Amino acid sequence: MMRRYLVSWLVLSSLALSAQGVDEDLLRMKKRLDSVVYFQANLQLETDISFVHMPVKRALMKFEKGKPVQFSSNDFVLLPKRGLDFSLRSLFEYPVVTLVRNTSLKNGYTIKEINVIPADKRADFTIATLWINTSLRRVESAEISTSKDGTYALQMQYQQPLDIFPDRVEVNFEIERIRIPLNFMGKGTQIDKEKLKAEGSKTGKIFMMLSNYQIRYIAR
Amino acid sequence: MKRLIYAEILKLIKQSKTYYALASILIIEVIILLSAYFEGTNIINLLLDNLRKSFYFQGSLLNGNLLQYLVLNTLWFHLPLIIMIVVSGTLTTEYKDKTVQAVMLQPVKKWQWILSKYIVAILFTLLVVIALYVTSYWLCRGLFGEGDLVVYLDGLNFFPAKEAAYRIRWAFVAGSLSMLFFAVSSLTLAVWLKDVTKTWIVCSLFLIVSNLLLKIDLGNAWLNQYSFVKLNDTWQYFFQFTIPYQNIFINWWVLMGYIIFMAAAGIFVFHKRDIG
Repeated sequence: MMRRYLVSWLVLSSLALSAQGVDEDLLRMKKRLDSVVYFQANLQLETDISFVHMPVKRALMKFEKGKPVQFSSNDFVLLPKRGLDFSLRSLFEYPVVTLVRNTSLKNGYTIKEINVIPADKRADFTIATLWINTSLRRVESAEISTSKDGTYALQMQYQQPLDIFPDRVEVNFEIERIRIPLNFMGKGTQIDKEKLKAEGSKTGKIFMMLSNYQIRYIAR
Repeated sequence: MKRLIYAEILKLIKQSKTYYALASILIIEVIILLSAYFEGTNIINLLLDNLRKSFYFQGSLLNGNLLQYLVLNTLWFHLPLIIMIVVSGTLTTEYKDKTVQAVMLQPVKKWQWILSKYIVAILFTLLVVIALYVTSYWLCRGLFGEGDLVVYLDGLNFFPAKEAAYRIRWAFVAGSLSMLFFAVSSLTLAVWLKDVTKTWIVCSLFLIVSNLLLKIDLGNAWLNQYSFVKLNDTWQYFFQFTIPYQNIFINWWVLMGYIIFMAAAGIFVFHKRDIG
């Protein structure tokens, strides 16, 4: 009887320990991302939000390890708060635990679905689900839930199998219905309050096209 | 006819009312710029509050184009009111000072004399709109620089700086037609009412009712599209994300029809009526 209890305890403990760690494939992908010390790329943004009409915008994006991503543009540009953190810095800023949910095959590659849960209250996300290509060590898509900014879904597309960063990213996000100060409205603007109330929060999309990457890696 | 027009221009130049009107337009512009300087950022922040949760903003929206758009909004009430006061005054003061009778004792045809008043009213209105455009262009860009324009019209519409300048310029052109309509209408009202105070009150009422009816469903598709009250927001069409040029041109032609009709009605009444 005692032996049975001991075996059960050992099995449960080992399971708990594995859940507390970080998935090896995720660590390998992170290591690859961490090898980038600098990159810059031309960014083209298209918004798809029902109440926002904005022409295609262009900006220059610069990343330097340890610093927030910088943007420069001659135009007024709306930059999504999520989806531009290709280094996944915000996810790994504080300790996390991971849980592998599923493994599947896509175009001959193994895709691992991993839940990333912050182990520190200071983290700005509550849970993230990453779909990572274990062979190519890169993120295919992600869903990040935050307490402040709602849930974001990212879909990455890469030009070449060995590319570390995507050339196209689609960001889906929740956005609250718009509140407009009356003194800013044109007279022709009709406000249907009931319709606005019924609509509640909306979803928006932003499409980012990235080109002319210049990437510097850690010298080996 | 040329001499009559010249004489009317001289009268307009010599009366102090004209300069009070121009000065009041400049004062309104300065007030808009000052309020934008102190409150503009708050208004923009409030407007974009929802987007701020999902986006970072690169660049500033408090710029010359936005300010000129705010100045453009004086076309709803402030500018037509000032124009109507000055234009109707060009005839009502003649009735008040009884100079109409003195003029009619001269070998002058009644219809030609009143037509010259309409022509000068049109020239004055165009001058005021051009002055508003030029002064707002230089003041707004000089103080706040260039930048993208954001307008709330069936959603948030963002326009790049160059495109915004183009849209604002054409909105002034479209707005000048509305101003011409109000100017001509005020002169026609002056023909009917003759009295200075009565004309100003009726002109103000005409403007207020026109603004109110613009927002109200008139219950008929044609009235909702082509009644004169529904045409006075044509300048705002230039801030729809896709400019509906065809609708704008149709509105312009219909509004020109109204202007010609109002002027013709005024000339007809003045010509038929005894001076006294």
